[in-house]
Amino acid sequence: MPRDDRPERSERGGYRKYFAPKRKFCRFCQRDIRGIDYKAVEILKKYIPDRGKITPRRITGTCAFHQRKLALAVKRARLMALLPYVED
Amino acid sequence: MRQYETGFVLSPALSEEETTQFIQQMAEIVAQKKGRLVKQDIWGKRRLAFPIKRFQEGVYVFFTYDGGGDVSTELERRFKQSDAVIRFMTVLKDPRDLGRRKNRKKRAEEAAQAAAPAPVEAPAPAEVKEEK
Repeated sequence: MPRDDRPERSERGGYRKYFAPKRKFCRFCQRDIRGIDYKAVEILKKYIPDRGKITPRRITGTCAFHQRKLALAVKRARLMALLPYVED
Repeated sequence: MRQYETGFVLSPALSEEETTQFIQQMAEIVAQKKGRLVKQDIWGKRRLAFPIKRFQEGVYVFFTYDGGGDVSTELERRFKQSDAVIRFMTVLKDPRDLGRRKNRKKRAEEAAQAAAPAPVEAPAPAEVKEEK
């Protein structure tokens, strides 16, 4: 497809002009999970990248309800030395 | 009666015999305080995310039990006295967190209900408006 034929979205600048943002969704709502267990380290690890910080929900798309549960679970896991407080 | 979960990390310096003995002792305390041990989860030796008391490893054990608050108080008192435990935490289990499958069923029912009476109800408000 030649470049000029692309549908134009004039108001948006930068990369949004070329790529429609991928729709994010809460992965916990999708699976109908209520509580998040601090012992499920493999799940929690997905939400703490290299630095060991909790990823904000604007990036992961997690809903407010599950983000609160997730943050609590991560903090509990840290206390039990299942996850690091800091990592570099 | 509430459900609690107490997790504790035992020192890797203990021998296997001492570890099982300690776990058994703690299970007895739960029974002594009239708690009902629902689940006993022993993960075994696992690498710690950061060193605690210069240990790099620990033996993870989790108790899930029904009972009053005095069970966890007594357990934690023992943990503090003992050198074998390097970390512990008690969490109150929320019964709402367990209903995963139920929730889905309920939601499906609600969806079915919403789909069925909708066409019947739809013309009714229109009639009311005309009367006024």
